[in-house]
Amino acid sequence: MKKCQFEEQIDSYLLNKLEGEERDIFEEHYFSCPACFKKLQERDEVVAAIKSRGAWIFKEEPSAQKALLPSFEKIYSFFTPRQWATVAAAAALLLVTVFGVLPQFKRSTPQFFLSEHEVVRGETLSLISPIIDVRSVPAYFEWTRLGDNVEYRISVYNATLLWSATTKENRIALPEEIKQLMTAGEKYSWQVRAFSDKGTLIAVSSRVQFQIKPAE
Amino acid sequence: MDEVVLKYRPVVSFKVKKSIGTQTPDWEDVVNEIITQVIEKVKKGEFRGDSSIGTFIYTITSRRIVDYIRQKTKILKQIPEPAPLPDPCLTAESRERARVLAEAIKQLKPKFKEVLNLYYYQELSRDEVAQRLGISPRRVSERLNYAQKLLRKMIRQ
Repeated sequence: MKKCQFEEQIDSYLLNKLEGEERDIFEEHYFSCPACFKKLQERDEVVAAIKSRGAWIFKEEPSAQKALLPSFEKIYSFFTPRQWATVAAAAALLLVTVFGVLPQFKRSTPQFFLSEHEVVRGETLSLISPIIDVRSVPAYFEWTRLGDNVEYRISVYNATLLWSATTKENRIALPEEIKQLMTAGEKYSWQVRAFSDKGTLIAVSSRVQFQIKPAE
Repeated sequence: MDEVVLKYRPVVSFKVKKSIGTQTPDWEDVVNEIITQVIEKVKKGEFRGDSSIGTFIYTITSRRIVDYIRQKTKILKQIPEPAPLPDPCLTAESRERARVLAEAIKQLKPKFKEVLNLYYYQELSRDEVAQRLGISPRRVSERLNYAQKLLRKMIRQ
């Protein structure tokens, strides 16, 4: 429905802000315009109620709810809705980065820096043979395989390091010259360390002791 | 034609009350006089249709009100008149309507109440209200109109 051009003047008329000819024209109009007169009557009632009871209507009511409301509005009005949306998007992006993207860069293999005597738990590297006393000098040393492109370093000790060698296999033959150094009745121990193709230490076996039993 | 004229009684009453105030006890007499005068003038053929019937009635109403105010001023100059007693029925009825409306306004959301307060109660201009609330003058008008609609709805329930 098209709005009457005089409708804008209803409030001014009721608040006695229309004067002289302007007021006369408006009054003449509402005598002939039922729509404007209806609105005029309705608005007059509201204005009259506000004028007579305004002090009571607009009295401040101190209540817990009212006390909380301004602080909430203050927080809310700190940003515009668009800025709030930006803040929310930034927070979401941060959460995704911290919990979604960063873990992807985490190395799956542990990195160790240790001396020869330290015991480290990484991927399990178990020794297979020899792990108990043997009747003769062992020809081979064997351990579990950890995967491709893994280099193993075996160390054989008596009181000190007797022999050390590297291989990509999970077994190695003991050289003849070392065999000759090992005698019956002596206790020896051995250990294997595994390295990735980048040279990172990925596993260390426990050190296993064995004895070459003397012939009866 | 009399029926047509009688349809204008509310608008004549509104104008009379607005001009001389509802506290004046004889405002209804003035309205009756105006209606009678209009009917007589129409019967005498004084309404020729040059203007609308509304304009015709408005002209008669305005003249009668001016006469009434002149007459009252003359009387007041001679003897101070005691304060008129208001019509008890009308006062009770309008009081009740004002009370119901006031209750309804109190229940409105703060954003509507504050516009009604600043514009109607404190009588700030639309631009001043807009500046005070940090909104556009157009938004002030929208809130005033919407508050009206809400109030109509609330008092009808």
